[in-house]
Amino acid sequence: MRGKTKKVFLENLGRGNPVFIQILGICSTLAVTNVLKNTVIMCCGLVFTTTLSNFTVSLLRRWIPSRIRMMVEVLIIACYVIIVDIAIKATLPDISRQLGPYVGLIITNCIVMGRTEAFALSNPPGLSLVDGFSSGLGYSYVLLIIAFFRELLGSGSVWGVRMLGNWWVNWSIMVMAPGAFFMLAVFIWIVKGSILKPDQDKKGT
Amino acid sequence: MADKKSRILLWQPMMANAFYALVPIVIASVYFFGWRSLALLVIVNIAGFLTEYAFCRVYRQPVSSAVFVTNFLFALSLPPTLPLWMAAVGVIFGLTFGKMVFGGFGRNVFNPALVGRAFIYVAFPNHTNAFWSDPFRGFPAGFAHFAGDAITGATPMTILKQGGEIPLVDLVAGFTGGSLGETCGILILLGGLYILWKKSADYRIVISGFVGFLLLQWIVWATGTQGALAPVPALFSGSFLFGLFFFITEPVSASQTNIGKWIYGFLFGALVVIIRTFSVWREGTMFAVLLANVFAPIMDLAIREIQAKRKAASR
Repeated sequence: MRGKTKKVFLENLGRGNPVFIQILGICSTLAVTNVLKNTVIMCCGLVFTTTLSNFTVSLLRRWIPSRIRMMVEVLIIACYVIIVDIAIKATLPDISRQLGPYVGLIITNCIVMGRTEAFALSNPPGLSLVDGFSSGLGYSYVLLIIAFFRELLGSGSVWGVRMLGNWWVNWSIMVMAPGAFFMLAVFIWIVKGSILKPDQDKKGT
Repeated sequence: MADKKSRILLWQPMMANAFYALVPIVIASVYFFGWRSLALLVIVNIAGFLTEYAFCRVYRQPVSSAVFVTNFLFALSLPPTLPLWMAAVGVIFGLTFGKMVFGGFGRNVFNPALVGRAFIYVAFPNHTNAFWSDPFRGFPAGFAHFAGDAITGATPMTILKQGGEIPLVDLVAGFTGGSLGETCGILILLGGLYILWKKSADYRIVISGFVGFLLLQWIVWATGTQGALAPVPALFSGSFLFGLFFFITEPVSASQTNIGKWIYGFLFGALVVIIRTFSVWREGTMFAVLLANVFAPIMDLAIREIQAKRKAASR
């Protein structure tokens, strides 16, 4: 059991990473990574939601009728997202305003839905909790790396603190969504090309 | 020795024609804007070659000389005051994301020079859009200066749109502000006709581009649309001519079927007018080329399918 937990945990960070292997949750990757601070809040919200919704769905998996399981899953996810949304609004109103609809849109985030559907429905609660948590982490660290470079290039700052001197000219494309497309592409390129060596899908043209 | 050289660089005679056509424009850009334009050209060429070499080395292929055409075209599309490092960033980005990620020479969907140009246009809007230097006049003009010192915010597009007047001779001969290679209408026409004669550019695209541009420009002008210019000054201001001869005719990203080429050119000409007249941008050539590039493969697909169906039906 111990070994299996570890395997599930590591799978979501590396070879089964939701963002750069499964290419899920791209919409929020593009939308919220322009500033590091917003990204951290967004990632916390997502980790919270995936972990607990995975856990809850797994607890209830024997009682959920399979024909309406999607609706039940969405209801469960929505509960947690509303909690996150209200909590952010109450404690960090500025960031809540900047994130706009994207916190609410965690409900439709493909990673959350995908994990409950693919994992929680067929695994015990403990394991699902770990899986949800590590999926959230896998998503988060990719977003944080992208956000770091986007903020550095786009605003010359990290966490709102000016890092590069006055000589730096902001690359305004990096603050816009297209910048995230290129950043994500470069990230996937580097990871797939050099860190995860292609072993079986090495074909000719 | 010869063997070793050919492994680094693949010389394509077709590309040489484009160089002969561009050399007068390069000299003219030095004349109008000073030696700085040559510095931009050199930096762009070095950065562009190294980018392509870095990719080609992995696949043990020689660098095709097409990269220098891309470099020249990219450099000539830049404003004269652009910081040198921005030019390098632009060409590196354009070649990487416009060409090499698609598989290198002959496989690019978009014109790589304009992918880079569009990138720096969006990334550094102030430097690519707000500073233009006035051209030198007389002799030795730019040959005696490194860079133009007068910085204005106006190109003919802006001046004419705001109701100002520029003598047509200045527009045609190139004594106006603008990007390095776009100002001198006469030399672009000469160079363009040369590559048409050498068949490096396709006459169908050029003719239909002219028709599309003039027709639509005449319509918007005759109907009195706000901001529309008269067809002839519009033809010689901005970068339409340069785009028509050197960018839209790039064979790889252009349409491959003959009917497609007619539509493709017309689409480009029409899009330039639409973007110039109705959008917030002053110049539309770059976006018109990229948009036309998007539609070229789809048009080819449809045209080939229709032709195959007709052939099957006639039997």
